[in-house]
Amino acid sequence: MSLAYFVRRMVFAALALAALMTSAFILVRLTGDPVNLYLPVDASDAAREAMRGRLGLDRSLLTQFFDWAGDMLRLDFGMSLWHNRPAMDVVLEALPNTLALGAIALTLAFVAAIVVGSIAAVNAGGWIDRGINVLSQAAASVPDFWLGLMGVLLFAVTFRLLPTSGFGGPVYWVLPVACLFARPFGTLVQIVRGSMIEALNATFVRTARAKGARSKRVIFVHALRNALLPVVTVTGDLAAQFAGGGGVVEVVFGFPGIGKLLIDGILKRDFAIVQASIFAVAVVIFIINILVDMLYASIDPRVRVE
Amino acid sequence: MWTTSIGKSAKIGLLAFSLAASVAIPSYAASDALTVVVTDEPKSLDPCDTDLSGNARVLRNNITETLVNLSPADGSVEPSLATAWEQVGDLAWKFTLREGVSFHDGKAFDAAAVAVALKRAQDPTLACEVGLATLKGIVLTPEVVDAKTLVIHTDFVEPILPNKLSALDIGSPDTPTHAKSREPIGTGPYKLAAWTPGQSITLTAFDKYWGDKPAIKDATILWRAESAVRAAMVDTGEAQIAYEIAPQDGTTANDHAFPNAETSVLRIDQEVAPLNDKRVREALNLAIDRDGLIGTIFHPQAQKAMQVVLPSVFGYNADIPVWSYDPEKARGLLDAARADGVPVDTEIVIYGRIGIYPNSSESLEAIQTMLADAGFNVRLEMLETSPWLKKLLKPWDGGRQPSILQTQIDNTEGDAVFTLPNRFTSDGNTSSIADTKLDTLISDASKATGDERKRLFQEAFKYLAVDAINIVPLFHMVTIARIAPDVNYTPDVQAGNEIKLKTISYR
Repeated sequence: MSLAYFVRRMVFAALALAALMTSAFILVRLTGDPVNLYLPVDASDAAREAMRGRLGLDRSLLTQFFDWAGDMLRLDFGMSLWHNRPAMDVVLEALPNTLALGAIALTLAFVAAIVVGSIAAVNAGGWIDRGINVLSQAAASVPDFWLGLMGVLLFAVTFRLLPTSGFGGPVYWVLPVACLFARPFGTLVQIVRGSMIEALNATFVRTARAKGARSKRVIFVHALRNALLPVVTVTGDLAAQFAGGGGVVEVVFGFPGIGKLLIDGILKRDFAIVQASIFAVAVVIFIINILVDMLYASIDPRVRVE
Repeated sequence: MWTTSIGKSAKIGLLAFSLAASVAIPSYAASDALTVVVTDEPKSLDPCDTDLSGNARVLRNNITETLVNLSPADGSVEPSLATAWEQVGDLAWKFTLREGVSFHDGKAFDAAAVAVALKRAQDPTLACEVGLATLKGIVLTPEVVDAKTLVIHTDFVEPILPNKLSALDIGSPDTPTHAKSREPIGTGPYKLAAWTPGQSITLTAFDKYWGDKPAIKDATILWRAESAVRAAMVDTGEAQIAYEIAPQDGTTANDHAFPNAETSVLRIDQEVAPLNDKRVREALNLAIDRDGLIGTIFHPQAQKAMQVVLPSVFGYNADIPVWSYDPEKARGLLDAARADGVPVDTEIVIYGRIGIYPNSSESLEAIQTMLADAGFNVRLEMLETSPWLKKLLKPWDGGRQPSILQTQIDNTEGDAVFTLPNRFTSDGNTSSIADTKLDTLISDASKATGDERKRLFQEAFKYLAVDAINIVPLFHMVTIARIAPDVNYTPDVQAGNEIKLKTISYR
């Protein structure tokens, strides 16, 4: 990856980030005034006006925008109204939890999908393939919320194997990971299966077999390497989605991640939290995209990242 | 075949995981430790922000205490940090403070500390909830007579100052004066041990507490948004008490319903036609089958309401008749109004608030159907809290559509003055009625004392419900708590605002 390419990517990312943050600034303000949410219903109009003044919400939108943009350039996202702490501090506590949760779920889904998808492709048309097809489609379409509650009822309440919810040691991660695992697993199995069937029927694989290469080597080295590119593309997209947090899963399990923080921030009109969360997630997505590009090049040398 | 070896490793993996999980799950519920699960993380934990129940539940009578408490049975004033009080002249109240009380930071509790807390609560730059709500509109000037005697001067005759002060949680004089605190220091039976943002709050018993030592030494407060998860946590032993269980989840022997001081009502915007016609407002009330809603969408123990406060509130009027269900009569009233040129066929919008209470949307869907059956042209709009507040609070748009608004009114302070002025007088910021007779009644009642005060408030409630018909009263509500069978705890009418940890023990 050349320096010029990297600089070009950085410039585009900065422009995209500026556009995104401007939209976020406008959109959160369109959703309503936080003052009514934060003051008791009985508070007087004077108290409401005073709070608007303290928060700077009584100034023109343009003045608010320029002040906010200036602060953001210094990476100052302001104080969270709800948490009464700097918004970026709160976001940086939640973000690693979400990234770890997403990375574990997605890695497991990626590995499992390659194995299961390959099995389906090798047995294409047979009963194993049909079974995997049904299973993967169900996994890709089951709602997170339902899966979460069923997981709690089955593994926490009935079998007492896992805690219902919360945050801590490895056992607390099992159910949220399982819920987040299902959809990418189902999606990726379908893609692995399709591209593997195509690869296994390609001329180079037939040639390799004709030359007497062993079955496992043909599947894992020749066919899989060629089938991986679309899988990596989709996994990259899924990783970008996961960076924003599995909102529903985090809410159900009381998992202190960025998805839950963002949902709470929107509901509580905590502008600073919403803006800081969007910024942090956008930066992570940019990094993921760069990493995916680099991964492309290492899987398929014909792809040049420039 | 390699497929076989995967099957084998999967089995071994599952077995290993099950074993690891079964030893890894911590054992909960030591004999003097308790975990309570609520819906939402508190906001500030500042002693002056206890108007919000999320904050009060952690603080009130656990970490911080007030001069007086209100009896959950009848709303009468009971001693806490003050042992005696009396009105000394029209504009002053004298409080005698408890001896031998100290704050968690070692500072002595005295009259000067109360004076600091009172000034802080009324500081407009801090925007304390208790100052903006319960103590709104009154200037309280503390005078320290001696360490254990405090006189509070008022700028007008305030017959129920002790009731109002039951909302003032008193923090250490070292509580920051220019910012909200996340580290409350009080005199209560528990001190804050830790607050891990996003995860939990832990309290531990305060060794030098002036009162009886509580049975529970360590309490953890957690929050989970999902009712089913909260309920499950008690079943698994992860928590011993879970609040606000939805009716559909709260059907076991461990689920206890208790009145929560809230009354659900529909507020009628009677300034806009056709709702400016009393016959139309009466028809709204007659069209709703309250008996049909109880035990189905609302909890079986909810009580049909005819006013916006519970019988335990001073000023409650037991003689207001409950509305009957009479859709025929409602249709007749609408026909009569239509014949007189009232635009009864205009679309009326019902504004609901998502999650204001369990099944809030379902209740309005049922009510919408009942109103349509009686001949109303109604449309339901469910709003999230922020846009709903815009509909609740003035100023409203002049050219607005006729509407009724789903709301819920609570009164934990025990006197009707905490409910009526802001909601039902001409200048109230959530009031949709402007009636000089009602204004006078509420104003006179607020200044009166004793039986006269009670009579005037009772008259005001009757006028509101029967003469003006500004509301569609629905139910005095209940909350469901799931309580582990080995825990000795009876939630009372204040349990929506207070988790009284010192009253909880194991059987």
